[in-house]
Amino acid sequence: MNRSSLFLRLLFKAAWVRKDRALTALISVAVVATIATAALTIYSDLEGKLSREFRGFGANVIVTKTQGSLTADEVNAMNTALGDKNAGKGTVVPVAYAIATAPDGSRVVVGGADLRALRELNSWWSIRPIEGSSGKAWIGSRAANLFSPANGKFNISFASHAAEIQPELVFLSGSDDDSRIYLDLVEFTALTNVQPNTALVRVEGKPQEIQSAIERLSASLPQAEVKPVRQITQAQTAVVGKTRSVVLAASAVVVVLIMLCMVATFTSSVLERRKDFAVMKALGASNKTVNLLFAAESASLALVGAASGYIVGSGTAFWIGKANFEAAILPQPLLLLPVLLGSVVLALLASTAPLRLLQQIQPAGILRGE
Amino acid sequence: MFFRLLFESFRRQKRRKSAALLAIALGMSIATAMIAVGTDVGDKINQELRTLGGNLVLTPIEDTLDVNIGGVNLKPASEGSFISESELPKMKGIFWGRNITGFAPFLSAQQTITMKDHIVAAELIGTYFAQPLRYGKEDFTTGVRSVNGWWKVEGEWPQDYSAWPQDQAPNMLAGSKITQESGLSIGDIVQIGGKKLRVSGILNTGGPEDQAIVAPLHIVQQILSEPNAVRRVTVSALTKPEDALARRDPSKMAPAVWDRWYCSPYANSIAFQIHEAMPNVRVEQIRQVEQNQGKILARISGMMLLLTLAALLAAALAVSAAMAATILERRQEVGLMKSLGASNTAVASLFLTEAGFLALAGAAIGFVAGAVLARRIGQNIFGSAITVHPAVLAVVIFAALLVTFVGSAGAVRKAMQFDPAVVLRGDA
Repeated sequence: MNRSSLFLRLLFKAAWVRKDRALTALISVAVVATIATAALTIYSDLEGKLSREFRGFGANVIVTKTQGSLTADEVNAMNTALGDKNAGKGTVVPVAYAIATAPDGSRVVVGGADLRALRELNSWWSIRPIEGSSGKAWIGSRAANLFSPANGKFNISFASHAAEIQPELVFLSGSDDDSRIYLDLVEFTALTNVQPNTALVRVEGKPQEIQSAIERLSASLPQAEVKPVRQITQAQTAVVGKTRSVVLAASAVVVVLIMLCMVATFTSSVLERRKDFAVMKALGASNKTVNLLFAAESASLALVGAASGYIVGSGTAFWIGKANFEAAILPQPLLLLPVLLGSVVLALLASTAPLRLLQQIQPAGILRGE
Repeated sequence: MFFRLLFESFRRQKRRKSAALLAIALGMSIATAMIAVGTDVGDKINQELRTLGGNLVLTPIEDTLDVNIGGVNLKPASEGSFISESELPKMKGIFWGRNITGFAPFLSAQQTITMKDHIVAAELIGTYFAQPLRYGKEDFTTGVRSVNGWWKVEGEWPQDYSAWPQDQAPNMLAGSKITQESGLSIGDIVQIGGKKLRVSGILNTGGPEDQAIVAPLHIVQQILSEPNAVRRVTVSALTKPEDALARRDPSKMAPAVWDRWYCSPYANSIAFQIHEAMPNVRVEQIRQVEQNQGKILARISGMMLLLTLAALLAAALAVSAAMAATILERRQEVGLMKSLGASNTAVASLFLTEAGFLALAGAAIGFVAGAVLARRIGQNIFGSAITVHPAVLAVVIFAALLVTFVGSAGAVRKAMQFDPAVVLRGDA
């Protein structure tokens, strides 16, 4: 048997003969690798996942034309500035408003917009469809209480035209919209001759992506005022930022502590083998050979543990994404190398430190049981 | 004899014992820190979400419709009805009064603003900035400075005057857009309704207030000759995300269920209680804020919960592995004891008692360390400490005992399965 095959044999047997010891060491490395992989994978995807949740807040940018109305070119320019519509980068909903006189002589604000798009944007609206209605108008809950308590039709008049309003549904928003009536934009324009001068814009993405989209919008619309809804953008920045920090801090605490735990386990499993160490030395092995053997053993255990930890950790992150965000958090291949290398380095440190301690003692002393 | 063995084992094997103790303490500090952070992060993020402003809005029940386009209020000041300002502190007296973190009343009307060389029409909004109030024995301060966290002022916030100041023009804020367009600057005096006001700061909100004048409520009430009147109040309340119970119709609930609903801080139960305290007021959820913040909160808390579970599981495995390693190391001791005639029960109880002591000590150390870590995380990220509930100590002690017993029991059993002679010879 040559030297290298003896080495391999020793390496293999050490793990095989004392499976339980190898297993505890393996588990402790795998646990570190799992939790580190899971935490870092989640952390790297958190900003995107959480930002997506802010979609529900609706428009986060308001574009207003100070003079005149928004032209079709300008609406197209907005869509281009946001990027591919199908890629889910955002939506633009132009709206127009006019004041009408209600049957009781009071004034009511009537809005015109693409109603489906408006509803998608204002996802928090609670909608109550009116059964059997052939109408097309959407009535805010407060306006409905006043003008159409039995969901029937009513008349309003604009400066020049009178119009019959037949409600299709009543919505509750908890905002000024509850006092408004919304009509389809085409119908609205036909009635009032008013074109939209405002666009509600929802920009999707992380806080910095929203910021750059706002800059692009401003650049492409020199005639209009582009204003972020600070209330929403600021909350998004604060919440996303703080959540990321919490996850990072908590993960750092967990990973560091669990690493220390692993080092303690590794150290004690090496110290346990002081007799092996003494026998090898007594049989004439050099310090270097013994070190190499122990290091190779630790490194291969760590490698296997870290690889399985990476797989389990990626699986955990994937599952957490599915269970909590309803969208998987995909494995980060970039993490594999740092996790493997980190585990091996840590295992080497944990196993060579006690060896140095043992080298100071005479093998005979250890064998005698001192 | 048993206690002597126990004591000597701790005295003589300091290194082994401290390695095991370290592992347990580390595992338990993970548990403490993660449980504390995981359970408190919901409250902390809820506080952060308050930068979204109020989640409930109060309007007079007999009110006419809002006539509001692009943030410009076209409803005359005299039209519609009002909420009486003096009733507002009653909100603090409801069952969930403590969850009401603030409110801001508003009274507004289109006014002609006379400046040095020209006249503009703009909305005049009256509100509280940071008004000290009292309800019963409780003193509190409320207003837009805390409720509308996104309002930014360049210059100084005005004070909340209780009456028109005798010797000087009262301070107010001018919206950023109106200052840009009319060349108004800090220190300028304008006339509204024949009365003089001084610009103390420029307000930037990113909303319709940018083209308005915002002044203390009592000043606006005097200008509009509407004492004690408020048109609208936004309320910022810490609420529990809507769940199945919150979505049910309270009027159709059985009494026991209704009580549970009433005693949960849902947005609609808080709204109901405010309406009880002020019957002339319609209370509505600002659904954009309320519905969405619940979703976001649920996502973040859910994620932290799952992360906490993963960390707890990892800590349990790590501690078990560490305990197993320290006991496996001692199989010769087991062999020796057994060859001297110790029964399996005697050996197991010795080892498990040792493990129990280690677990208790480790849990205590880990709890303290974990609490410190959680505190630091809270302070550094949210600016307010995360406190650890004392009940967590009980959980941690229980977890420590469980994990160490599970970790050592397997290893002890394994050690006892071997023939003592074989172990002592060193063959196992």
